Amino acid sequence: MTSKLKRSLIYWAILSPLMVVILFPFGVMFVTAVRPREELFIYPPTWGFSEFRWENFSEMWVKTNFGGALLNSLYVSVSATVVALVLSIPAAYAMSRYRFAGKGAYRTFLLMTQMMSPIVLVLGLFRLMMTLGLVNNLNSLVLTYAAFNMAFTIWMLQSYFNSIPRDLEEAAWMDGASHLTSLVKIFLPLAVPAMVVTAIFSFINSWNEFVLALTMMRSSEDFTLPVQIYAQVAGRYQVEWHHVMAATVLATVPVAIVFSWLQRYLIRGMALGAVK
Amino acid sequence: MSSVTIRGVKKRYGAMAVLHGIDLEIRDREFVVLVGPSGCGKSTLLRMIAGLETISSGDILIGDQLVNDVPAKARDIAMVFQNYALYPHMSVYENMSFSLRLRRQARDVIDRKVREAAEILNLSKYLDRSPRQLSGGQRQRVAMGRALVRDAQVFLFDEPLSNLDAKLRVVMRTEIKALHQRLQTTSVYVTHDQIEAMTMADRIVVMNAGRIEQIGTPLELYDTPVNLFVADFIGSPSMNFLRGTLEGGAGGAAVVLSDGTRLSVPSMGRGKAGQAVVFGIRPEHTALSSGPEGAQVEVGVVEPTGANIQVYARLADQPVCAIFTERHDFHPGQPIRLGFPLDKIHLFDAESGGRL
Repeated sequence: MTSKLKRSLIYWAILSPLMVVILFPFGVMFVTAVRPREELFIYPPTWGFSEFRWENFSEMWVKTNFGGALLNSLYVSVSATVVALVLSIPAAYAMSRYRFAGKGAYRTFLLMTQMMSPIVLVLGLFRLMMTLGLVNNLNSLVLTYAAFNMAFTIWMLQSYFNSIPRDLEEAAWMDGASHLTSLVKIFLPLAVPAMVVTAIFSFINSWNEFVLALTMMRSSEDFTLPVQIYAQVAGRYQVEWHHVMAATVLATVPVAIVFSWLQRYLIRGMALGAVK
Repeated sequence: MSSVTIRGVKKRYGAMAVLHGIDLEIRDREFVVLVGPSGCGKSTLLRMIAGLETISSGDILIGDQLVNDVPAKARDIAMVFQNYALYPHMSVYENMSFSLRLRRQARDVIDRKVREAAEILNLSKYLDRSPRQLSGGQRQRVAMGRALVRDAQVFLFDEPLSNLDAKLRVVMRTEIKALHQRLQTTSVYVTHDQIEAMTMADRIVVMNAGRIEQIGTPLELYDTPVNLFVADFIGSPSMNFLRGTLEGGAGGAAVVLSDGTRLSVPSMGRGKAGQAVVFGIRPEHTALSSGPEGAQVEVGVVEPTGANIQVYARLADQPVCAIFTERHDFHPGQPIRLGFPLDKIHLFDAESGGRL
């Protein structure tokens, strides 16, 4: 056995308990989602089940108003991402390209706001939304998610923008382009990968957010997915676990796959910022 | 008319002054090289001509037009950057036609101009490629092609060859010079390499610490450098400097070194007897002396380059280098007598560095 193979086996052996701990809930979730209802509470619990009951998903869709909650989540996540990006791109460009007083302090401020959890601010935000008359309105979530995401998106975009050489815009100016033309025709096309990655991170953060959604949205037709799924469990006498798990599978698995694919770009973005 | 006039130009970044008052007249069709060590302000000056840096005080005129407040895009200047600055998301053709497309020129006119420039620069085969598919030399030529299609009044080059390997640099140097001879466009070229300056320039501007040290043709700078800095900067290997004291007397003017060696000089120039001076002689001008003139040295290191032999020795505990084109069989430790022809000697004041 080669030493490389031996080493790989040792590393896998060391990592496997961790993998089991992490994947176990997902395994239970999936198995519960696809097993027949009658086999939910078999004791002792087993991994095996008689058949894949895919109808759990279609039943769940209707019973839990999954479609409505999905649309709400989509609206909130997409809008928050768009608002965050529209405001972050000029901010990140200014941070990357211009020198101005207080730039360092602003950057520190962005870093500090990233450390704040929405839970800490939820009371204040609720009162703010009340004053604005936006409670139980999905736009309250759009605004708050956009605000929370911006600290991260500005930070990440600035790191990427720093890696785009200034020469390119200067060359465009020498070629006769105005600042706006060079921004649109030269800079932004090169920044697209960064913007896509940042947008997807912002989308995922907004999609998964729970506390603010639970606080701001009062009526069930306006719930986002995390809250809708929670509502299937909280305060119920009888919980349809197979539906709950089916909903959770649909709500989390696609996002988990996209995130695992994206995490190397996140690392790269952070490293760029650190080195430069 | 596309001359460039720089009058009393100063530049400061906050409290730090980078250019201390530059006066320079670049004539129409001239190829002027700004040369100097890193940090001397040559790139800053070039960028101020381009409009990429603001002017703290002074004036810059292109032709008869004062351009202090004219933005870069309106100055009708083309620039070749050190890192090429090719647009990575565009093909070579699109890179070269970008400026023409911005000016909304007709498609057939654009096509003709791009293909003509590509022909001149041997890029016709690469028009559909993207910059990352090209070698360094090819990218540099695309950068030049981008400048070429514009028919600009002035071309600016910001150390365009410094990212290329030595052999390619020699080839591109000749190409740029040939291009200038063909197009006759006023060009300002920045480099820290004095060989590039000597081989390419109509006139060289030697800069140091934000000031102009000397302006002249390559041979003027080579034959009559006005101070120690220029004498040291131009020529490779650099000029030998031997510190000593100037003496007059019956035997004629001479520089006396610390070990008593007398080196004859043609005259005292503006110097006075007893003055601390620097005796300068280029390595390629030293010869072997058979007579009583000159100085005895011990051979230190011998470097045969094939075209010549470079000998490093010490005289009065100061380093000295001699270059011989004839083949000699020197070995370390061997005593030889070096002669210094009177008409090739330079004399400088030791304190100010000025020519005597």
